[in-house]
This record gives sequence, C-alpha cells and structure tokens, in this order.
Amino acid sequence: MKRLLALLLTIPLLLGCTKTAVNGIIQWGEGGGTDTLMRPLCSYTEGYLDGTIALRNMTGGTGTVATQYVYDKPADGQTLLLGAENPAMYDALGLSVLTYADFDCVILIGSETVGVTVAASSPYEDFASLIDAAKANPDTIRLATTAKGGLPWTVARFIEAVTGATFNEIPYDSDATARTAVLNGECDVTVMKLQAGLDAANEGAIRYLCLFSDAASDALPDVPPITDYDPAFSAYLPWGPFYGVFVKKGTDPKTREALSDAFLNGFREPAYQTLLSDLHVEPLGLCGDEANAYINAWRTASLAALNAQ
Amino acid sequence: MQGFLDVLSFLIRPEVLLCAGLGTLLGVYVGAIPGLSGTMAVSLLVSLTYTWSEVPAIALIMGMFVGVVYGGSRSAILLNIPGAPAAVATGFDGYPLAQKGKAAQAMGLACVQSFIGTVLGILALALLTPQIAKISSLFKSVDFLLLGLIALLLVGSVSRGNLLKGLLGASLGLFLGCIGNTSQFSVNRFTLGIRYLDGGVSFIVAMIGLFGAGEALYQLSLDQPPVRQEVPKRIIPPLKTVLKHLPLTLFSSVLGIIVGALPGAGGDMAALLSYDAAKRTVRKPEVPFGEGAVEGLIAPETANNAAIGGALIPMLTLGIPGDAITAVLLGALSMRGVSHLSLLSARPDLFHLILAALILAAVFLLLFGLSGIRVFVKMLKIPKGLLMPIILVLCVVGSYAINMNVYDVLLMVLFGFLSFVFKRFSYPVAPVVLGLILRNLLETNTVRVVLLFGDLSMFSVLSPFLLALLIALPILSWVRGRKERV
Repeated sequence: MKRLLALLLTIPLLLGCTKTAVNGIIQWGEGGGTDTLMRPLCSYTEGYLDGTIALRNMTGGTGTVATQYVYDKPADGQTLLLGAENPAMYDALGLSVLTYADFDCVILIGSETVGVTVAASSPYEDFASLIDAAKANPDTIRLATTAKGGLPWTVARFIEAVTGATFNEIPYDSDATARTAVLNGECDVTVMKLQAGLDAANEGAIRYLCLFSDAASDALPDVPPITDYDPAFSAYLPWGPFYGVFVKKGTDPKTREALSDAFLNGFREPAYQTLLSDLHVEPLGLCGDEANAYINAWRTASLAALNAQ
Repeated sequence: MQGFLDVLSFLIRPEVLLCAGLGTLLGVYVGAIPGLSGTMAVSLLVSLTYTWSEVPAIALIMGMFVGVVYGGSRSAILLNIPGAPAAVATGFDGYPLAQKGKAAQAMGLACVQSFIGTVLGILALALLTPQIAKISSLFKSVDFLLLGLIALLLVGSVSRGNLLKGLLGASLGLFLGCIGNTSQFSVNRFTLGIRYLDGGVSFIVAMIGLFGAGEALYQLSLDQPPVRQEVPKRIIPPLKTVLKHLPLTLFSSVLGIIVGALPGAGGDMAALLSYDAAKRTVRKPEVPFGEGAVEGLIAPETANNAAIGGALIPMLTLGIPGDAITAVLLGALSMRGVSHLSLLSARPDLFHLILAALILAAVFLLLFGLSGIRVFVKMLKIPKGLLMPIILVLCVVGSYAINMNVYDVLLMVLFGFLSFVFKRFSYPVAPVVLGLILRNLLETNTVRVVLLFGDLSMFSVLSPFLLALLIALPILSWVRGRKERV
C-alpha cells in the first residue's frame, strides 16, 4: 500500500522533473496552427540541445497571458515564448504593454498566406461583390472572427482602411469554429489561412474570394490576389501571420545564439521542411537582426492600416 | 466489407495491440491523478511519439484517450476528487457509495459501464458518422446557448434539496468563471491587477480544491473512523444489474455520443447532462440520488466514455475537434501531414486504425480497469488522520503539476477553505464547479447571439433544435407528472 502511494506521489513529481530543462510556452491552444508548427520543431531541436523542451499551451487574451508569463520569468533562456504574430501589435490594440520589442527572437519559422472565404453557396461571387454589399449595408454582413487582434479582425482593419467597408464582426473560439459558422450559414464570410481552409476549398465546401497577397498562390492558382481588386492594398503587403520562438530581452547573447543555432538545425531538418510545405507555410528561418527587421516591417504595415481609419 | 477487414487487420497487428494496451494502462492510472488532465497526458504523448510511425503512435494515443476518461472516476469514487472534469458527476453518487463501504462495487460498475459506453461510442463512430456529423455541424450559437442553459438547470439536481443554496453556489461559480481576460474582447475583469488572474480561474484547480482539499478538511473536522469496506468476491457487477439498467445505459450513451460530437462540449458536459437526465427520469432509484444511487454512477460513467466516439466524429468528417483531447489529436495528425478536413474519405485507413485502436482500448479498459480495485479500496482503511493529510498533499502536488505554478496551489487552498465552509453550513459544492464550467459556453454564445440578432428575444433566434426542445420539454414534463400521479 505504501509503495502504491509513493508511486502515486512520484508520477507527477517525475513529470515535473522532465520539465526542468527548457520550458516552451505555446501561446495558442492544443491542436491549433501555432501548436502544430511548434511541437515538431521542438522535437527536432531537442536533438541539438543538451536537454529537452517541455511544452505547455497557455491560452487567453489573444496570447497576452503566455507573453506576460514568459516576460515575468528571468532572462536566462530557460523559458521560451512560442508565439504567432499577435504580440507585435499588442500595444497598438491596447491588449498589453508588451510587444516583441520586449523579447529577442530566437528564430522566425515562417509566414502564411491568408484569404477571404465564403461558403460555396454564398451569393458573393467575388471580392468586389462582397465589398459592394458591405458598403451598401455597413455593419451588416456577418464576419466570423477569432476576437480582437486575431487574424480575421486584423484583415478586416486592412479592408476597412482601403475600401471603407465595415462588417458585423462575430467572435468565435478558433478558426475551425469560425469556418463552421460560415459553412452552416450563421456567418457570411471569414478570413482563413491556406492551412486551415485549403481542404475545404478543394472539396468545394468553401470558396476563397481573394488572397491577401500581391500574387496568386500555387495551391489555389484560380484565386486572385487582393491587389487585383484594388492596387492600394499593396501598401500593406506582403503581410501574413508568422510564427517564431522568442526569449525575454536581456538574455545573454551567447545563450540566445546557442538556442538560435539549435532551432535553426531543427528547422532545417528535411522532415520539418516537408511539414512546412504540406501546411503551405512559407519558410523564413530568420534570426537576430534579420528577424527584427521582418517584424518591424510587418508592424509598420499593420499600424498603417490601423491609423488609416 | 473491405473496411471491416481493414479494422480486423489492424486488430491483430502486434504493435497496435501493444500500444493500445500500454496507452490504456497509462491512461487509467494517469487519469486517476487529479491535476494530470487527459489533454495534458495526450499532448505529452503527441510530442513523445512524433518521430514514431503513424500506426503505433495513434494506437498509443487512442488507448490513452479511453484510459484517462475512465481513470478519472477512481479518485472521484474513492476520495471525492474527480481525476478529470468528466468525472465530476461520477463523484455525486460514487463517493456516497464508497462512504457506505461499497467502493469496490462502485469502481467495478464504473469500469463495466465505461466499457459499454466506449463500445457504443465506437459503434456510432463506425456506423453513423455522416449522420451525426450533419447534426453536429447544424448546431449554431443559439443552440449552444440553449445547451448551456439546460446544463445550468442541473443546479436543481445537485443542490441536495436546497435550491436557494444551490443557486448561490452556481452564481458564485459563474462569477468566478468571469475572472480573467475575456476571450472575445480581450478585457481584464475582476483581476484586481493580479497578473496571475489574467488567465482566469482554472476549473481543474477549483475542482481539486473544492472536491479534494475541501472534503479532506471536512473529514478531518468530523473525526470519524474509516468506513468498513465490503470487498466482494466478484468485482464485476452481476449481469442482472447491468441488464436492469440497460435502458439508462443506452439513453446515456446516445446523449454522450451526441453531446461529445458537439464542438466545445466534451465528456464533462455529457456526464453532467446525463446525470441530470437520469435523476429526472429514473422514477424509483433504490437509494435517492446523491446518497449512493447506482443510476447516478451508471449515467455519467457511460456517457463520458460514449462521448469519445462522439468527439471523434466532427474531427474525422469536418476537421473540427469535438473536445480538448481531439483538438490535440487533430494537431498531431496535422503534424504528420495528414489532411485536416474529411479524414474519413481522404484517409479511410486512418479511420480504420482509429476504430481498431478504440476497440482494443475498450477491451484493455475492462482488463486494467477491473484490476487493482482491491488494492485501491484498501486505501480507505487507512485512518482518516493519516489518509486525509495524504490527500491534501496529493491536492498540492496535483494543482502544482498543472502549470508548475505556485499560485495554482494557493488558489487550490483558497477553494479548499471555501469548500470546507460550504460543507460546514450545508451548502452544496457541486453548483460552484458547474457555474465555473458553464460560464464560457453561456457567455460566449450569448455575446454571439446578441451580435447576430441584436437581442435575445426567443423568436428572433428560433432554430430547429430550439423549436424541437420548446415542444418536447412541456410534453416530457407532462408525461413525468402523469407517471408520478399514477
């Protein structure tokens, strides 16, 4: 009996011990886009690190909870923020005082192309007809979002800045539930990454009206880029959600560089590159100043859209 | 026919057999530890098995899925600490059964019912997937809001005869659920500037404190000797008992499958709704509900395992997870380059592998679930002066294990004291957890309905499900009223 009790007490402690190497905090939920890219990357990177990476999903507040958690930890490279693009705009959106300027980038993994999608049966044949309808009836067409600061919300700001069209924005829990809302007719339109909507598009369940890009994609060659509708969008492009690994600013540069080397090696594994390709993620593999320049350019474009309103 | 042969071929593959068995064994024991949630355990396995080939990795994960859902019932019955949210309802009658010296029988019955629930869930997954997926995808925000409201009615079932006290507890739970950063508008509520609270009150931490620590403190204050436990020769419940409750089992399974198939409503909701339905429909239980009614154990334990098959349906057909564990599973498949949408048509081999692994896991569940019960029951022979402090230590370890965060432990202790005060003044604790669990479903869908329709007036948001319920509920009440008068 005592042995059993000792065992019961030991299991969580043992699990705890495995988590003492490097902690990786994923700022979005299990099974989501960020989670899907981070778990395999960390598995490959562990082969180039001395220890393991213990992963934990910490959701809430468009990722602010995880961002704050990592920021509150010592700047020793032991706690990594495995995040998406959202923190780059936290201060501008009033979500948090923190931004990626408070972190050092270990690696920028890749970026994605997104598009404006409707159900197959939607009356909107193209992006122009959607915008015309939205302008004729402001705040009426139902746009499924993933809350303030999320992808559809941000793209709606770009659309509003260029066209003046406004939507009735309905917040859902994830891109999967937002997609269902469009499929079952509860909403008219949403914005989806290629990763999340390509299968549904290929099966004829949804239609991409345009890609938020200045060029067509090989994955959906018939879908026009949004610049075909209005070249003014090119002022904000290229733009798309991105993913990266970060440590708190002030971390010893040698520690950050060692982490960058390990993550770059994991990133370059052929199997991981295949995964990125399968998920239609454009590989970046940027570290240090290059990564900072990418994030700054992305932030400048997003701020321009917000300030244009 | 080809599909049947494919499933059969997976069933006899040694690595599927071995991994499904290992996963189930791990799941049964990990699930019994409060704080180690099924989602966490499956996430850990996904990372560990990422470099494995598809077949053993999926078999192991499916085994773990089935095991953890059942495992949560053990600590709920023995110690009134649900190992997972899906086992909250199991404790309502499971723990009183243990208090009457029938812990072994309760655990045996829970295992057999979990097995039946799992098997019926697998059957639905194998035979009715397109139909159930169709129903699931038609659910809109107003239907989810209605589901949340129906679940809230459960307060009446768990208030132990004092509705006012129950409502007070549920209101407190709903309020505590509101603490933190709102997911829809990114606004901090009631956090008092404490950063830890930005993430909200974890209902797993609350559950460990309210059920585990609170009960331990209360039992210590009573200073009663340990209950003498009957250790029957047969742990397996008699066939007569199982057959007698077959209608309830079937009803709970159907409810579990449908609720499991709804995105965002998993085994916890299935078990709670099923318990409530059992309490309302079983006319003459041998023992009143809440005092050790076997029906109160059968309904949630069948439903939460049947929800496994249900939760996999939208995942396989629509690329939408039915619950948190299937969300992890979907991510795991995506990491392996497996297409998100319509896995059923795109990868029938994978569907057959999942079915085979679930069938094996169900059999292993029976095997491992019925083993070790006598050893577990001996735990209750330990004098309370020794056992309860051990439980308090387990509560501390369990709440710390969730996030390796000491604030979680502090919050658990606060909930423990709150629960102790509730118990001293005969306030039911379960409504608090109910409020905490339901707040998100109720609030987010209320917001959506108001944004979509401008208000909450019933007829502006009328849907087929709402209409069906509006017609069915008065009829059911009338039939029940007639039965009671007869």
